[in-house]
Amino acid sequence: MRPFAFVVFDGKRLSADPHADGRRLRVDARCLAGTPVEGAFAHVCALPQREAAVRYDEPEVQQARRDALEWWIPMLGDRLVCLSTFAVDASLCGGAVTVARDAALFEYDPFARLFPETVVATDDFCEVPPPPGPVIERYAGSPWPGGGFN
Amino acid sequence: MDLSPGTRLPDLDLPDHTGRARRLSELVGGDPTVLLSSRGWWCPKEQRYMRELCRLQDEFEVAYSRIVVLSIDPPEVQAAFRAGLGARFTFLSDHERRWLGELDLCEGTDTLHEPYRPAGFTLFPDLTIHRTYNGYWYWGRPRMEELRRDMREISEAVRADWEVPA
Repeated sequence: MRPFAFVVFDGKRLSADPHADGRRLRVDARCLAGTPVEGAFAHVCALPQREAAVRYDEPEVQQARRDALEWWIPMLGDRLVCLSTFAVDASLCGGAVTVARDAALFEYDPFARLFPETVVATDDFCEVPPPPGPVIERYAGSPWPGGGFN
Repeated sequence: MDLSPGTRLPDLDLPDHTGRARRLSELVGGDPTVLLSSRGWWCPKEQRYMRELCRLQDEFEVAYSRIVVLSIDPPEVQAAFRAGLGARFTFLSDHERRWLGELDLCEGTDTLHEPYRPAGFTLFPDLTIHRTYNGYWYWGRPRMEELRRDMREISEAVRADWEVPA
């Protein structure tokens, strides 16, 4: 399986149709590969503008992923459906999405430190086991936590 | 159960510190891994050792390598312990002691807690054991330098591009 899929974000809506109008962003392919969770909410921390990206190697992106492993995922508990960073290319991060069964804890999302947040209702994402950590490096341009050497 | 180097560890199926069902192979995820069995949060030696491990996780997180800790603490206790440590790796909870006897890792001298005895296993991605450590005495646990060495040896063996591609 390819380690990433595409979603499209236009600033208000998040679509799993890669041909929708808006900015195409790579997500962990597993997030769209199973049975979708209906009635979920996506916390999109991204902008629709193409130039809105930071390097994955920047300390703020690394720390957001550390925070996700350390407390964000445990805090969400059973609410969590899946999460993925948005990869723009092999080196740039366009933000992240956290999908949960309700929007109650989105104010704590560490990825909101990177880009402005938008909450959208979604039926597109499926449940993915959260990353076990402590790895925050990515594999060959995959959105974190997707990919691997297998 | 024979847990000597060269044998393969069973694919443990246990809840993690959030209560989610996990398999060891899923947590290993194709990377070199260290699996540490631990008495539990109450043991001052574990508290000291885990703090040391938390410093090492900064290297694991950029080196495509994993850390997994196994104890009989319930998930909610592990979650609190993990949060207090600032750990970003996974704890597996064998609070029902389903694997404790099977792995023959019970610390029989502690009849109060019936915990795992401290042991360390460095693992290839297919769960084959590279090296084992008996941590019954604190100094028997793998030192951080030994874990670095083992991760290097396993990575060298499993990464096809260890030698820089021409």
